[in-house]
Amino acid sequence: MLEIILSIIIVLSAILALIQKDLLKAAILTGFSAAALAALFQVLLAPDVALTQAIVGAAIVPVFIALAVKKTQRSDG
Amino acid sequence: MNELIPLMVIVPLIAALLISTISRFNTVTKVFTFVVALCLPLIPILSNYGLHYFGGYEPMLDTVSGVIYHPAITYSFTFLQQIFIGAVGLLTFLVVFIYLTKYKKVSGPYLFLLFLGTAAVTAMMLTDDIFHMFVFFEILALAQVGIVAASSIDYSYEMALKYMVLGSIGSPIMLLGIGFLLALTGSVNVTDIAVAVHNGLVDVTSPVFLLSLALIFFGWLYASGLPPFHTIKSGIYSKAEPHGAALLQSFTVISMISIVMIMFRIYASLPIFEVLIVFFSILAMILGVSLALTQTDFRRMIGFLAVGELGFIGLGIGLGTNFSITAGLFQALNEIIITALLFIGFGAIVNATNEVDTRKLGGLLAYHPKVAIMLLIAGLAMAGVPPLSGFQSKLMLVQASLSCGFPEISILAIMVSIATFVVFVKTYYTMFLKPKPNDLNLEGKEVPKAMIFAMAVLLIIVVLLGIFPDMATGGISNFVGGIL
Amino acid sequence: MIMVQIVILMTSAALIVIGLYSAIFIDNIIKKIIGISFIEEGVNLFIVTLGYKAGGVVPILMPGMDPAWFAANAAAPLPFGLVLTSIVIGASTLAVMLALVMVLYRRYHTLSTKVMLADTSKREEYDE
Repeated sequence: MLEIILSIIIVLSAILALIQKDLLKAAILTGFSAAALAALFQVLLAPDVALTQAIVGAAIVPVFIALAVKKTQRSDG
Repeated sequence: MNELIPLMVIVPLIAALLISTISRFNTVTKVFTFVVALCLPLIPILSNYGLHYFGGYEPMLDTVSGVIYHPAITYSFTFLQQIFIGAVGLLTFLVVFIYLTKYKKVSGPYLFLLFLGTAAVTAMMLTDDIFHMFVFFEILALAQVGIVAASSIDYSYEMALKYMVLGSIGSPIMLLGIGFLLALTGSVNVTDIAVAVHNGLVDVTSPVFLLSLALIFFGWLYASGLPPFHTIKSGIYSKAEPHGAALLQSFTVISMISIVMIMFRIYASLPIFEVLIVFFSILAMILGVSLALTQTDFRRMIGFLAVGELGFIGLGIGLGTNFSITAGLFQALNEIIITALLFIGFGAIVNATNEVDTRKLGGLLAYHPKVAIMLLIAGLAMAGVPPLSGFQSKLMLVQASLSCGFPEISILAIMVSIATFVVFVKTYYTMFLKPKPNDLNLEGKEVPKAMIFAMAVLLIIVVLLGIFPDMATGGISNFVGGIL
Repeated sequence: MIMVQIVILMTSAALIVIGLYSAIFIDNIIKKIIGISFIEEGVNLFIVTLGYKAGGVVPILMPGMDPAWFAANAAAPLPFGLVLTSIVIGASTLAVMLALVMVLYRRYHTLSTKVMLADTSKREEYDE
């Protein structure tokens, strides 16, 4: 059951991230998707991968994207 | 001295990191870089042939099934690896030498990228582990993007970003293919996978196996710049600094042959594999030469010709006999050297004239006779004129396709060679022989001595390989015999 | 318990398809890069699923475990090791792409790929 909920969160937040007009929100939703993915890795018996994914995917990557958005422009289009 | 095998990768990697740390001290960096670059071609020459197991984990015999497993990442070093790593090492040395003499103040990050790329292709060539190859494939893509972005040519950042976006679509797709192979065989070691496929542990007609071929093949097309990636590949050659482009094309050739040899060992039993390779190779030959004919920027012209020459390598490997694969690999060695010579030579012209449009150039023969003569010989070698090295490998390819029963392919190969000759002579005529345009100022501009030196060294290799092709083909043929 | 694997394989397929769609069809370069990171995540998820064993244990040998029981029940650790490397590679590739985008934004003042990337070849044609 847990994996179904996590899967739905991952796919939903991925789609939501790509249809946002505000790129900062897109960055945060990317982090959401990656954090749910990290939890899913834990369910799949891979705690080391889950730890790396939680740090890299849910913290570092959204920060990189947010920094890039800050240096460029916030709205899409 | 088997301990030298991992050092071939470790030395350029450590040197790359150290150089970017100490780049504030200009003289120290220059001396250190020169010494390391000099070591690169020497290490493969001094090393013995053999295998190296990382961590010392020897292969294990499974007593139940009687199959040997390789738990460690394995580097295998034979004559083929020696000759290609030696060629790339020599080329890196020459390129670094040109760079060090050209600029008073050297840039640490740029040298870092050059050495990183060399380390990556060396590892790709040595490794017997498909995931290890993928990791260095990604590192190589980053290094290539960096070398392109570091150049001062217009629109180099755009080209670098375009290449990077395509690459980061292509490499997860390749990783997915590796994942399918892992699912089928439970191993990432190429020898283990090949044994599993040949022993019938894997159903070779299953859709998963075919899909893994398609996905890895896509990554190979991206790495080697065969169609549909020929435009972007020739684009990055033309946007990099000329000495960087000379190194970039050698990276392309080596990543192409190292991936295709791995694919060949796994998928050789599938007939569609060889058909696919021959199809894309012929497409690359025709597209490369015909697009080269329409270019007015001579760097772009050489880029498309280089893509066309890649088709010859693929053709030899796709035909699948011992003789044809030997011919293809020998053509790869020749292409590394000849194309590097052309890029450095035309780079010398850019250096002396600040002009890349062939229509605005002319009469350079009187001003730069040494460069003109060496470029002419290199161009003739690329087109396959005896007794130069390109002739020997192309003759072998034509003979191989005839003996496989494909006279059409050999006729096509000869026609593409003639077209290459036409493209080269047309460009050569407009640049060197045509009367000089009035608005072209050539007084007081010299070609750097380091470039002349590098061209002379490469030219000696071209002539030597042309007169004594047995130096390379004998050993390559033995290696191919071991794979088949 | 085969259910878990099917759900997760479908998730990874969905991530790859979403990522490919956005990398090919979305015009905004930052969203393209986000899409590329989704492709990478989908592939990572697929490879982790290969190591999963329904009802198994985490592949860490704790003191007091019977090695034979552990070998029969632990998940396969090799795919996990591969994915660790792959995650870090994906993050570094993304950082380089974003850096290039930041440099290019200074020249074009837009994030549209139609302006930023496809323009160079056309401009060369105009020059001729």
